[in-house]
This record gives sequence, structure tokens and C-alpha cells, in this order.
Amino acid sequence: MEFKLEAHRIVSISLGKIYNSRVQRGGIKLHKNLLVSLVLRSARQVYLSDPCPGLYLAGPAGSPGAPPQQSWEPPQQTREPQQSREPAARPPAGWGEPPPPAARATWQEAEPQPERPAAPGEPRTGGAEPAAAVTGTGDTLLGGEAEAAEAAWRRVEGPHKVEGPHKVEAGEPGVPAGGSDLLPEEPRAARRHCCCPVGREDKPGAPTGSRRADCRCASRAAEDEPPAPPPVCPRKRSAAGAGGGPAGCPVPDSTPLKKPRRHLEEQPGGGDEEEEMETGNVANLISIFGSSFSGLLRKKSPGGGLEEEEGEESAPEAAEPGQICCDKPVLRDMSPWSTAIVAF
Amino acid sequence: MAGAGGGGCPAGGGDFQWCFSQVKGAIDEDVAEADIISTVEFNYSGDLLATGDKGGRVVIFQREQESKSRPHSRGEYNVYSTFQSHEPEFDYLKSLEIEEKINKIRWLPQQNAAHFLLSTNDDLRINLWHLEITDRSFNIVDIKPANMEELTEVITAAGFHPHQCNVFVYSSSKGTIRLCDMRSSALCDRHSKFFEEPEDPSSRSFFSEIISSISDVNFSHSGRYMMTRDYLSVKVWDLNMENRPVETYQVHEYLRSKLCSLYENDCIFDKFECCWNGSDSAIMTGSYNNFFRMFDRNTRRDITLEASRENSKPRAVLKPRKVCTGGKRKKDEISVDSLDFNKKILHTAWHPVENVIAVAATNNLYIFQDKIN
Repeated sequence: MEFKLEAHRIVSISLGKIYNSRVQRGGIKLHKNLLVSLVLRSARQVYLSDPCPGLYLAGPAGSPGAPPQQSWEPPQQTREPQQSREPAARPPAGWGEPPPPAARATWQEAEPQPERPAAPGEPRTGGAEPAAAVTGTGDTLLGGEAEAAEAAWRRVEGPHKVEGPHKVEAGEPGVPAGGSDLLPEEPRAARRHCCCPVGREDKPGAPTGSRRADCRCASRAAEDEPPAPPPVCPRKRSAAGAGGGPAGCPVPDSTPLKKPRRHLEEQPGGGDEEEEMETGNVANLISIFGSSFSGLLRKKSPGGGLEEEEGEESAPEAAEPGQICCDKPVLRDMSPWSTAIVAF
Repeated sequence: MAGAGGGGCPAGGGDFQWCFSQVKGAIDEDVAEADIISTVEFNYSGDLLATGDKGGRVVIFQREQESKSRPHSRGEYNVYSTFQSHEPEFDYLKSLEIEEKINKIRWLPQQNAAHFLLSTNDDLRINLWHLEITDRSFNIVDIKPANMEELTEVITAAGFHPHQCNVFVYSSSKGTIRLCDMRSSALCDRHSKFFEEPEDPSSRSFFSEIISSISDVNFSHSGRYMMTRDYLSVKVWDLNMENRPVETYQVHEYLRSKLCSLYENDCIFDKFECCWNGSDSAIMTGSYNNFFRMFDRNTRRDITLEASRENSKPRAVLKPRKVCTGGKRKKDEISVDSLDFNKKILHTAWHPVENVIAVAATNNLYIFQDKIN
């Protein structure tokens, strides 16, 4: 579970960086943005592969909820080659930064939690998880989480991740579904009973003390803005500053975001367009920004799905007032990279 | 001779200790962005030392002749010339600002008949320039994909072989190095040698790609080895062995568990350089908290030193520093969480012959030399 939390946090941080890169002096730095998109891709896949019902921020059908192909094997894997769901080893020790123990404890409880210690990025509500689903199912999930996260993590390895069509397998609880129809109703209902008052929003830049960092409402994840810089680490401020833009905050009314975002390899159509904006936005943003370098995502053989991706770059534009809000058909004619540059 | 805390790092034979020699730059706590040093380079004789900064200025220091009145102190470096090399520009067509920061200074070899230089400011291309032809260049490497969507890596550093003028290497953001021979084809997109170390799956993390990105590559003076710097380590490669480095030195392994924080505060993108000493027996690279590290390739000993104003008395011997990575912190050790990540040493240079080093710490240039008894 902590991997998912960490992945979510990293996704938020990465999105913020990509957004801020547009206003940094010297222009967009290709190298840095490439590296950030690699991190985003890894975090996204771990995040979306973690089989936690309700925790999965289900986007419209076909959004990047599909776990990577099971059969992919990294070329230099020294562990057992079988990409099964039963990993042989525990998650590696030096792997990311697990959240403080207090965070893990909170998964067990339904009550609002005291803030976790101020770790970097902690107050970010992007790091918040929809707790509701966990409250009911947390116990049963925890056992399989580490294993599933580990399996998910190993799928991430390698330069060309293949994300095939999602297949729900029996016995796999809470596998991120291609559509909301597969999402169990329970967690969604539970989500509404989460600790936070409905409709409450966090103020950007609010100090840790006033933030409900523990709130895991999926509904709020999309509305939150990047937090103030973490108090612990000395931090280099970009020209735009940390709160410079709503990197994690898509405009709720933006048309492109409401459109179903298909994953590269998935079949379009048959989606759930009525997916709530609050839950779908983060997943959308993930797919949008993570797809900036599709060469990293696609199979080595040129595949389809390019069209699907072109439309995704428009989201940052939509978030800006006064910017062109491009429709998908228009964007199809533009190169995605140009679109991204324009957006940035 | 052993000094306090283990003595100096033997380099070039025999134990010796590093002493403070000079520091250049303002003492102000408030550092202007333009004053941050972005490159340091000795010329081929070591008599000239150049720095470039983010403001586009170049300062050249010249070594004074050893004075008879102070025979024990080596010549000092004093400012010889300073000039504004680059100004900020704006590309109106693309709405892009072009930074004036000096990325790299390379001195021209005075006795080399091949008057060429490589320019690698572009992430995706390497051009070869003839010094007397300024209006055009040869493009010898181009990794820009037809569709930028396909981009998976960029060029991060490049360098000529010191003796074989037709051979050069370039490193990538994926942690690979390609050696190319310009005699084989005009466009060196196909490498002659490909150096890559297999990733250790047990250390995989979200940030594996970032920390494997190579920030600097340097041939040894002998031309037999090359050295690469990635975020956590320095690797020495034998040009005859492509599948793994012959030596790996951990610069600050204690940061591995902090990668997420370093990603958040952008430190993980810092591009550290590395350099050889004149005899290729030692290598040096920078770290955080104004620490820099030296590794002796023969004895496998290493030392951590600090460039600070507190240790700036003339001929003061530098005391080795140590980072406490766990357990009880000993006296004089510094814990990882106390490191100042704003004070980073990215650029260092080693005199081509003597044990004199130049270390850039933000806006200050420190010069150290070995102690002479």
C-alpha cells in the first residue's frame, strides 16, 4: 500500500515539475523533462497496478488502468523470469521512500488521522488517497499489496513498457478496471463517507498544520493544487515557485479532460464518460503527461494508438485561461510534441 | 605520513595532505545566480585556470612565478583576464530564451595539429567544428528521432580521445556510452563500441533512470580508460571492455534512501563532473555540503574534504570529513540530514601535472595544493 501512496505522491510531484518547466528560464529542458516523464511513467504504472479496490482512481474506460502485459520480461532480469503475480522477493530495500509508519497505521482506521510528520511533499493532497475503500478492505488487501506492488514494480522495468489491454483475472481483488462497471460499488459508496466534509478544498500553500493530509478523498485529489515547499529539505525554487501553477489541478470543466482517454493499446469506445470528474482527472493527467514520450511506453514495433495520444496533450492548454481549448480532432493533426510545447 | 583522521589521499605516489591555497569570489551569503560558477578548467600546462559562470562571464587566472622570497609556496593564481563571453538571447520565433550560462570551457591543445573541437550543447546532436571555418560544421552524431514522441534518451556529455583524434565518446541519459570512430563513416550514428553496465534489479526504484543518467565522461590522460559520473557513483571503464566498468566508486551512497526527497527538491538532477589527476592514479568528484571526494585507484583509499571559508587559512591542512550514515554519530561526523544540499560542488579540475586542484563551490573558487614539507 505504501508503494501506491508513494507512487501517487511522485506522480503529483512530477506533474508539478512538468508544469513549472514551462516558466523556467532557459526554456524547456529536454533532458530533465525526459527524466521526469520516466519517473512519471514508473510511478503511474505502480500506482495503477496496485490492486486496491476503490483506491484506483478510475478514469474513463480505457484510461491507463490496464496493467502492463504479464508476459513482458526485462532482458537483464536476474530473478526468476516468470512475471507472475507472486513475486519471489520482498520489495527491495532501497526502493523509493516509504511513507512514515504513521501513514501505514492510518490505513487501518476510518477516523481522521493526525498529520503525518512533515516529510517532503507530505501536505500535498495529491499524496492523499481515497481512504474510504481502504477502511473496509484494508485488512484483506494488505497481505497481497506488497506482493502485488512488487509484481507491478517489476513490470515497470525496461525501456519499452507494454501496456496491453486490461484483463481482469479471477482471484485478483480490485484490479484496476478498464471501466467503472468493474469497480465495485462498495468502495464508491464508502468514499462518500470518508473523513472529509464534502466539497471541502484545501488552500494552496497552507501550512501543514491546517491541512488534512490524511484525507484521502478521491474527490478532492483533482481539485488540489501543489502545496507549499516541504519544510524539511532545502529546496531550489524555480522561477515559477512551488505554487506556481495548478499542476495537479485540472480545470474541472475543461472539455478535453472529460473526454474518455484511451490508453495507447486499448480499444476506444465503450467507455464510461460519465465518470466523475474528481476521480477521473488525476488518472487523466497521468496518462496525459506520462504519454509525452510514447517511445517509452510503446512496444518496440510501431504500434497504433498514436491518435489517442495526440488528444491528450491538450489538457495543459485547457487549464490555462485564454488558451486554446483544442478539440481532439484538431489535435490529431498536430504532432504531440508540438502540442506539448505549445501547451507548455 | 598520517594526519588526523586518516591522513590524506595518496595520489601520484606517497602520502600527502591537501592544504588550502586560495579562494576566489565573494563571501556574501546571498549569492547572485549570475555568479554561480558553471565550469572550471586548467589549460594543458596548468599555468592558466579558467572559470565560466551562469552570467556568461569567463575569468582566466594565471599562475604567478614562484617567488624567491617564499620558495615553499607554489605560485598563486591571480586574475589574468575577465570578459563577458555570452549574453542572454531570445529566440523570438520560438519564444525561447537562450541562456548565457557558460556550460563548458575547453582549452585548445597548442601542439595538436588537429584543430577541431566538439560542441554538444544540443541534447540530440554532436557537431564537429574546424577552428578556422566558423560558418558551418559537420554533424557527426544525430539521435533526434523523426518523431519526437519516440525520444528515449539524450546526449549528456562527449569528449575526444586524448591521442586518437578520430575517436570520441558520448554518454547518454540512459547510462550508456558510445565510442565512435570518425573514420568509419561520416555520420557516426552507429557506434564502434557500446558501454553499458547491466542494471542491478535489487536496487531498482522509481528513480533508477535518473540516477543512471551520466553527467560527465572523461578520458584518462593515458587514453586507455574513461571515467563516467552518474548521480551516486563514478565508474572507470577500460576501453577494451564494454560490458561493465572495471572500477566503481560510490560517492555518496547514503543518498540512495533519500532519492525521493532529492527528486522533489530537484537535487537529483544535479550534474556532477569528475576529473583525473595527471597520472591517472586518482579521481576526484564533488558532492553536497561543499564536500568533494577523491579516490586513489591503486590503494583504493578515498577521502572526503570540504571547501569552506572556515578552512581557509593559508596552508591550513584540510581535515577529512565523514558523513554519518547510521547508528551513533561520532564527533566531527555530520549526519545525512544535516547536509546542506544547496551547497554543492559540481565542477572540479585537477592540474595536469601537479597536485593542485580547483574546486568550484557555488560562487567561490577554491584552490588547494598538497602540503610541501
